[in-house]
Amino acid sequence: MYHLALKMLFADRAKYIMLVSGLTFAALLMTQQAAVFFGILDWTNGNLKNMRAQIWVVDPKVEQANEIKPMRDTDVSRVRTVPGVAWAVPMYWSVQQARLQDGTFKPIQLVGIDSTTMVGQPGNIIAGKLEDLRLPNTVMIDDLAVERLSRGRAKTIGIGDTFEINDKEARIVGICKTEKSFFGYPYVFTTYDQALQFAPKVRKMLSFILAHPAPGWTAEQAVIQIKKQTGLGAFTEGQFSVSTVLWFFRNTGIPMSFGTTILLGFIVGVAIAGQTFYSFILENLRHIGALKAMGASDWMLTRMVLLQSFTVGLIGYGIGIGLTVLFGLAVLKKGMPPFALPYQLPLFTFVVIMFICAFAAVLGILRIRKLEPAIVFRG
Amino acid sequence: MNTEITNNSKNGFAVQVRNVTKTFGTGEARTQALKGVDFDAREGELLMIVGPSGCGKTTLLSVIAGTLEFEEGEVDVFHARLHGMSKSAITNFRGGSIGFIFQQFNLIPTLTCIENVSVPLLINGVSRAIAEKKAAEVLALVGLGGRGHDRPSNLSGGQQQRVAIARALVHEPKLIICDEPTSALDKDTGHKIMELLRDVARAPGRCVIVVTHDPRIYQFADRMTEMEDGRVQRVHEAPQAGFSHTHQ
Repeated sequence: MYHLALKMLFADRAKYIMLVSGLTFAALLMTQQAAVFFGILDWTNGNLKNMRAQIWVVDPKVEQANEIKPMRDTDVSRVRTVPGVAWAVPMYWSVQQARLQDGTFKPIQLVGIDSTTMVGQPGNIIAGKLEDLRLPNTVMIDDLAVERLSRGRAKTIGIGDTFEINDKEARIVGICKTEKSFFGYPYVFTTYDQALQFAPKVRKMLSFILAHPAPGWTAEQAVIQIKKQTGLGAFTEGQFSVSTVLWFFRNTGIPMSFGTTILLGFIVGVAIAGQTFYSFILENLRHIGALKAMGASDWMLTRMVLLQSFTVGLIGYGIGIGLTVLFGLAVLKKGMPPFALPYQLPLFTFVVIMFICAFAAVLGILRIRKLEPAIVFRG
Repeated sequence: MNTEITNNSKNGFAVQVRNVTKTFGTGEARTQALKGVDFDAREGELLMIVGPSGCGKTTLLSVIAGTLEFEEGEVDVFHARLHGMSKSAITNFRGGSIGFIFQQFNLIPTLTCIENVSVPLLINGVSRAIAEKKAAEVLALVGLGGRGHDRPSNLSGGQQQRVAIARALVHEPKLIICDEPTSALDKDTGHKIMELLRDVARAPGRCVIVVTHDPRIYQFADRMTEMEDGRVQRVHEAPQAGFSHTHQ
């Protein structure tokens, strides 16, 4: 009977297309919007991914990786004395304005790393040498900076070229690749000391302290000791990442905005699939009554309806996910908008789409179970 | 009036109905459709149930077919006592022992004739290949051998009713239930359909029960049960030469 159930479904072109379209739209909207949302969350951790360290020490009021409350330079020494800490180095981070050759300004993220150890260095250097950052007034820029800072130039900016940060000349000695960050500004790396020269002077300049646990200590244990003995804030890389994401959940409308769109996708899916499938069942009620009269049990008809419902669900889901992946492939090349598709996301959408299908099927099944086969004898 | 169902395998009765009542609705809308009906149909006969609209013909047919529950009484169809059976047992019984022919044919429009005819076999668990082979054979028997892959909408009314007859016969049921089988057909087509049904009824161990309003086909009945106001009023014997009143 299953092949007949599918044939009945496919033959009703209008309803079949409507069902698949509704479920495709729901799957696309839920997955694509969630992928963009996850992409944004991914960007919020851009700093953590571009300047790797096991332990991040910050001002106790700091809750997330894109927030700066400067500390005193002496805090680095205090952290170095904490038991469980192998080493600790200063880091500077702030948003500054770069002046281009044509006189326009572009915001950049200026990162100052420890000149001795180079801890916090970019992970993927594609041109130049990191050691050259020890030369005066030198910077290493990322590929996004190459694109943004080239404006107004005859040729693309590269090693040996200069631009200005706060009226001070910066010479490019290297180019690296970085992960996108929440602000979307390019990264400009230099040493900590030079960063303090490029940036406007304020009383406290130390943004982060990057540290490493001593042998025999876990990062978590070292973090507890740092907080206890210095009164500073401290996170492992994982804790800082979670704290950053949670901060965005608590303090911005981004999750609510995307959540609403995802919910709308779900509601549209339920409404279209439920209504269309129920109408499909109602239109076939007389035939279903005839099948009942001819001896088809409620369980047999239930299985037929479930097959029809889950078949359109699988097709709609497949098309929806396929379109999302195409969208992802298109935007990942451009880098905008943010997009991240962890395997849990298609899995989540699959469960939701199957739930919608089950809901639509149950509406029809309840109607069928109430149906008296004697309906076929009524004119 | 009989008060008990006799052993129908011995007396040749295909269907015995005793003192069956059926009520629809509640309160002021309450309507008693069957008021203690007694009814018999014999093996090898084509029996018609006639009467004015609302007299309970279709309700009685639904009760005999096991598609409608009733409040009181006993119904025995080819050894099966429907009044003592569970809902699922009645469903199984219908699937194996009863063939249905409906007024509006009730063919599934999106399926081919072969697929429509194969439905009762598929319901009974027969494989698709065997069911479709048997369906094609039965379609040939009703004169539609070349139309198996057509959809019902491509056939005339008479041809559609033949497909419905093939569907009713394909699983070789003992009892064929027909609800107004000729009301949507012209006289000649109706006569051909009735000739086919009369041949079906003549097969050993079979019985055809026809509910009809159509006097043009009365001549095909072996017996005729006349209903009025929820009761069997009289039973007529001897068809071709006109009906004779026998008993209630």
